[in-house]
Amino acid sequence: MNTRRWTPLLVVLLIALTPTLAHACSVCFEANDKNRAAFFATTIFLSLLPLGMIAAMYWWLRRRVIELRDLAAREDILPMGER
Amino acid sequence: MATLTASARHPAPRATLMPSAVIGTLLFVFTEAMLFAGLISAHAIVKASAQEWPPTGQPRLPFGETMINTAALLASGVLLVMAHVSYRKRADLATVPLAMSLLLGSFFVLFQGREWVALLQQGLTVTSSTYGGFFYVIVGTHALHAVAAILAMAWAWRRLQAGRLSAAQLGAVEVFWYFVVLVWPLIYLRVYL
Repeated sequence: MNTRRWTPLLVVLLIALTPTLAHACSVCFEANDKNRAAFFATTIFLSLLPLGMIAAMYWWLRRRVIELRDLAAREDILPMGER
Repeated sequence: MATLTASARHPAPRATLMPSAVIGTLLFVFTEAMLFAGLISAHAIVKASAQEWPPTGQPRLPFGETMINTAALLASGVLLVMAHVSYRKRADLATVPLAMSLLLGSFFVLFQGREWVALLQQGLTVTSSTYGGFFYVIVGTHALHAVAAILAMAWAWRRLQAGRLSAAQLGAVEVFWYFVVLVWPLIYLRVYL
């Protein structure tokens, strides 16, 4: 078995065994309710904002496509002289 | 093929889904929206974990006075909508509402500059506290965007006067200004309250 392939995995596992060295949890050392609520609210806000912007863009483009399709259909129905 | 009709030789321009100028500005606005979201979120977390907010010895932000400024900015946004509607009827009709929107936007920035001078005199600086730091970074970033958008509006107004402003160019300027207008109430309510 190639030890080179397993070394990174072994390193990751060893790091995973020492969680006390990493202070990744920002609310763990300042755990008051207000702070926790702020973290929770901002996580939701920052997660939903880009999705909301993409959804808004999709909705607007879809509306515009329908508008243009209707316009093209109307132009096809109209006699040549009325275009 | 020698008897091509005039319409076949010069086909009517196709309506575009969205002008490139507007798409470009929208993408820019999306990234800037995330920048402000990050700044406001950081402010909310620091405020929540602070023992006292605003800190002792630091001046209170002028919530009441800034309300006038906020009203001016919102009115500027409404005037730009009116300029858009007028432009669709006849381009030159948009000159007055666009100029008024530009003036109100400039009033907003100048009023804010006056407010900054007063706060600096009272001892609120970028380094005086996290309260001051957040205030100048968030409001300053917004002011930078406002100045850039005002310059874009002035450029659009000059082109409109010369009869050279296209709907796509106006659309791009509008998107940028609406962003500046709409992000402000959020900043106002989060930072000033």
